[in-house]
Amino acid sequence: MMFKIFTSLSRPLSLSTLLLGMLATVGHTQAQMNHSSQMMGATTSKLSACLGSGLDCANAATPFFVADDQLLLAWTANGVVSVAQSSDLGKTFSIPVKIAEHGKSLDVGSDARPQIVSDKYGKVFLAYTFFKDANWNAQINTARSTDGGNTFSSPTSLVQDGSSQRFPSVLIRPDDAIFISWIDKRLVAALKQGGAKRLGGSIAYAFSNDGGKTFQAEHFANENSCECCRIGGSLDPQAQPVIAYRAIFSGGIRDQASQVISTKGAAPIRRVSDDDWKTDACPHHGPSISVSGTGKFHVAWYTQGSKRSGVFYANSSNQGLSYSKPSRIGAEDVNVSRPYLLALGQQVWMTWKEFNGSRSMVYIKHSQDDGKTWSTPQWVSQTSSYSDHPLLVNQGNTVFLSWLTRQDGYQLIQIGQRQ
Amino acid sequence: MKKTVLAFMLIIGMLNLAFAEKPTLKPYQNGDWSNLIKTTKGSPLAIHFWGVTCPSCIKELPHWGSYLKSHPNAKIVFIQVDDVSTESMQIMLTKANLQNANNYYVVAPFDERLRYEIDPKWHGETPTTILIDKNGKATRKTGLTNFQELQAWMIKGS
Repeated sequence: MMFKIFTSLSRPLSLSTLLLGMLATVGHTQAQMNHSSQMMGATTSKLSACLGSGLDCANAATPFFVADDQLLLAWTANGVVSVAQSSDLGKTFSIPVKIAEHGKSLDVGSDARPQIVSDKYGKVFLAYTFFKDANWNAQINTARSTDGGNTFSSPTSLVQDGSSQRFPSVLIRPDDAIFISWIDKRLVAALKQGGAKRLGGSIAYAFSNDGGKTFQAEHFANENSCECCRIGGSLDPQAQPVIAYRAIFSGGIRDQASQVISTKGAAPIRRVSDDDWKTDACPHHGPSISVSGTGKFHVAWYTQGSKRSGVFYANSSNQGLSYSKPSRIGAEDVNVSRPYLLALGQQVWMTWKEFNGSRSMVYIKHSQDDGKTWSTPQWVSQTSSYSDHPLLVNQGNTVFLSWLTRQDGYQLIQIGQRQ
Repeated sequence: MKKTVLAFMLIIGMLNLAFAEKPTLKPYQNGDWSNLIKTTKGSPLAIHFWGVTCPSCIKELPHWGSYLKSHPNAKIVFIQVDDVSTESMQIMLTKANLQNANNYYVVAPFDERLRYEIDPKWHGETPTTILIDKNGKATRKTGLTNFQELQAWMIKGS
């Protein structure tokens, strides 16, 4: 039928007109699709993407002070993992070294960040995560430098396992041993193969005595943890790693736990707080822990539990056996997020981010008595564009806020001094 | 000439088919929320936020596909929040039979600034579903969805 109609119009001029008309129809269809794809108020024209791999386009930056006061900064930006050095407290940086390029496969989730540590001889260890397959299984890669971060080895996988490993958390001990913990999904994957379905992951860890070149056999600290939150880590006075993480307790309760990793293995799992957050959701919001010189655990975390909701702080003087009553960080009606702690001796610093609808603001408070009393929160910095989590880092006895912002640059601000 | 014309028509037809079947993924960023929920026009609307890298989201997504197949008139918007390739989003959506749903993806960072206009108290947990009732009142549900409850809410409208 259509052919007949067309035949009847098969004069050259009519044919040309019709063909043009049909092409116009296709074009119109396409134009409608394009219009549809931009229907949210000319969204595409409003996009202001930062496309480079430099610090100015980074989504997360992690600092580490080397013994000679050099600052190492590792960051991820548009699929690239980079490291640079600063000898003037972050005012200027060396030409960045690109460690790896993974494009859209790099893990840039809101709780993901590269990890970097160094010994006093300039041996640098770096870890990050990328997604290795179409099922979004993740792989932790590590790279090393023996020249203070000027050059790095090719990244290699931390473990040989086909399932998923994510959210590395790295500490370096005074004896230069490296401790790494991460979220591991091999137990969940094995259960899945056996027909059982379970959400969540496990907390795994390993030590290295050769700067991260090789690691001892990995162990599980807790077989049931949230799979999408960072792990917090700190060393106690005996240089034992202490980790804090979002565990999955009986009944699917995703509350915070702490655990000491001794030379004998992982100590018992200690519940930081009974928040009663029963959820299958991914919070993307892990805790922070810092152990003071007295061995006191200081922990800060986020929860939406039935018993409390918001960002909270508690401490423990008995290695996590019991914790103080949680105290709220920030006001209840304010959007508080990303708490971070640093303890030096009996002094403790705490930072967090608040958003007031237009500006992200970083606050600091300080305790001189191991967390018993705290100063009034002080506003330290703000930005009106994208910003990373506020972090705390020390150069000897001097404490700095490390905060990456898109609009106002990378900020390293001195906020305290150990007395 | 007739063969040429027929061939041309076939090509045109295939092009139209190709365009028609191409799944649309629309960008979403700061400032878009008010326009998005304006589309409710008195009908209940569910806006489901999910992420490609969020295991519970991926586990649940096919159930959304089944629900929408059973209830094709339900007003549901899907917004993907992870910074991943659009191809990978489309793969997940196709697996869940949601390739032709009303799909968006976040093009700005999924941070506190983007979430504030949606719900100032939302910290970004996924999956999260915002239910806008027929009166425009929003309720945030975090975690996996009970689809029987969702359907009851859709019928009631509030």
